[in-house]
Amino acid sequence: MIDSLYLAWRYLTYNKIKTFILVACITTIAALPLSLEILLKESERQLALRAETSPLLIGAKGSALDLVMNSLYFSDEMPAPIEMAAVEQVMDTGLAAPIPLYVRFHARGYPIVGTTLDYFEFRQLQIGQGEQFGMLGQCVIGAEVARQLDLQPGDSIVSSPETLFDIAGIYPLKMTITGVLAPSHSADDLAVFVDIMTSWVIQGLGHGHQDVTTTSDSSVILKKNAANVTANAKLMQYSEITKENIESFHLHGDQASFPLTSVLVIPNDQKSSALLQGRYLERETHYQVVRPKEVIDALMATIFKIRNVLDAVIVLVGITTLLALALVFSLSLRLRESEIDVIFKLGCNRATIARLLGAEILIIIMISTTVCLGLLTLVAHYDQILVRNIFI
Amino acid sequence: MRLNKLLRLILFFSVLMLALPLQVNAEKKITVYTVNYPLFYFAKRIGGEHVNVIFPAPPDVDPAFWTPDESTVRKYQQADLILLNGANYEKWTKKVSLPMLRTVDTSRSFKATLIHIETSVTHSHGPGGDHSHGGTAFTTWLDFSQAALQAEAILKSFVRKTPEHRQTFADNFAALEADLLQLDERLKAITAQKTMFPLVASHPIYQYLARRYYLDLKMMVWEPDADPGRAEWQKLKKQLKGFPALWMLWEGEPLAESADRLGDMGISSIVFAPCFSKPKQGDFMSVMQQNVQNMEKIFK
Repeated sequence: MIDSLYLAWRYLTYNKIKTFILVACITTIAALPLSLEILLKESERQLALRAETSPLLIGAKGSALDLVMNSLYFSDEMPAPIEMAAVEQVMDTGLAAPIPLYVRFHARGYPIVGTTLDYFEFRQLQIGQGEQFGMLGQCVIGAEVARQLDLQPGDSIVSSPETLFDIAGIYPLKMTITGVLAPSHSADDLAVFVDIMTSWVIQGLGHGHQDVTTTSDSSVILKKNAANVTANAKLMQYSEITKENIESFHLHGDQASFPLTSVLVIPNDQKSSALLQGRYLERETHYQVVRPKEVIDALMATIFKIRNVLDAVIVLVGITTLLALALVFSLSLRLRESEIDVIFKLGCNRATIARLLGAEILIIIMISTTVCLGLLTLVAHYDQILVRNIFI
Repeated sequence: MRLNKLLRLILFFSVLMLALPLQVNAEKKITVYTVNYPLFYFAKRIGGEHVNVIFPAPPDVDPAFWTPDESTVRKYQQADLILLNGANYEKWTKKVSLPMLRTVDTSRSFKATLIHIETSVTHSHGPGGDHSHGGTAFTTWLDFSQAALQAEAILKSFVRKTPEHRQTFADNFAALEADLLQLDERLKAITAQKTMFPLVASHPIYQYLARRYYLDLKMMVWEPDADPGRAEWQKLKKQLKGFPALWMLWEGEPLAESADRLGDMGISSIVFAPCFSKPKQGDFMSVMQQNVQNMEKIFK
């Protein structure tokens, strides 16, 4: 048997391209469905875990999936904005604790999550390095953001303009990083967290500038009377909030009308949850209340349907590949007629030829299995990152 | 002998095991940070021994225009409860991050009836720098019925935090509420003798007092420890035309010169202390009782 394996190995190493193609075909057909299975299971776990720990979400009427994906996984699909008054409404009911979320802006490609300190307590997020943000203009970053951008407490990160050509739009805000979160293996690792008021400053609803009532530079004043001072566009606005200029920062308008993307709601108990959901079923309200678990379950059901189709496709491709492989082997037998004839003339019987061919197939399958196992190990090791980058 | 030792050891560990839960219970005291002295006083009276109440502003600063440093903000962040006055009192909270779910706006229940003032006049006193009293009137507790509502908000937040002490908190609150409502009734009875009685106040902080107790108040922007200046005296004279006020309410004891000059104009000075910060003597209730006694002199 060793002799047969040796001869088969020599044959396969001599015909490198043919061997490579066979190994690649078998590896792909085995690794693809198994990798998909691993990634789907991980995505299901991540989606379900996050959804199960988020009791209710309130957002604008519209796509429930966009609302959940934006609020739980900070995806780019932004639901229609709602007002901060929605938080006060929930607070007034006394049935639940609301946590505002404003997920709209980005900093160096990572989502900026505007929220309150309660979010960190609710998600049980710990500060790994540094400390929690305390003042306007400060932020804490997820563990992956810190690793990928090589940032640490004391460094800064600048918010990105929403569109490249938005010259007259919002000034980018340079934010001081006060802390880095400990890894949580969730979407929180890939986000930049700021206070909800800082996210409004990023939007331009709040700003800081030199005091127009006391400035000696008359070129910045457009109109001035006893009751009002109007400044022109020359008035310098601060792009970074520091201890020196923080006093000049202010929000314009009624905070109750400021935007949010959603409100994460933690009901006191089951009864409170039911009562609260009932209130939002009224037709007059512009808000919808969703149970993230139900939305994610529906999404998973759709994914499973797609997976079934994918499985069927993979089975068909697999059968076709195996048939093609059989054809390759039978054709190679024909090509190797003269070689087999020499083996006969040397005195070998049919069983020896079968053994030789069997050894070739065995070696190809063993190589494919090894490569496949290596690939699957890699996929299993990086499944959390792959799922967050590809699926969520 | 050895058995005796063993028994002693068992006894020692038994006592230790019994004492441990007691120790844990003793540490369950909640920490409450407040933004002014009236809330500190209410919280202390309602919470009693079950609550550790902290009001970190320095005594010489008006807490309404005080901004805590970063380390104090961190302490606020770590508190079990943060009691805000509301009515735009604590402006610094707009510049810092506080846990919303552990923050209680004690004037939220009467938000709709807060008084909004339109003024752009700025002035300065103490280390707080320039400031204005425009926006929302914030000395909510000078209407004692509102003070009782603020105390009730504190009671509710305490009960939510440590429901096991519900009865103690409720009893303490009932006593405080009775004291506040008694002051309210007394002051109402005093001012009812002469409704819309014309008075001058040294500082624009008595809006709720005037509304609740039917006072016709003209408010200046004077400090008790500083001469108001010629312009302000002129302004007062203008105010007094067709407004026969005979008394001026002061936040604190005025300068003798100011009081004398007012006396020459036929206006007597009297103190109605808002009690922003911890008084040098007594407490919130004794200061307010003194205020009411002083008001009695006016309406006699």
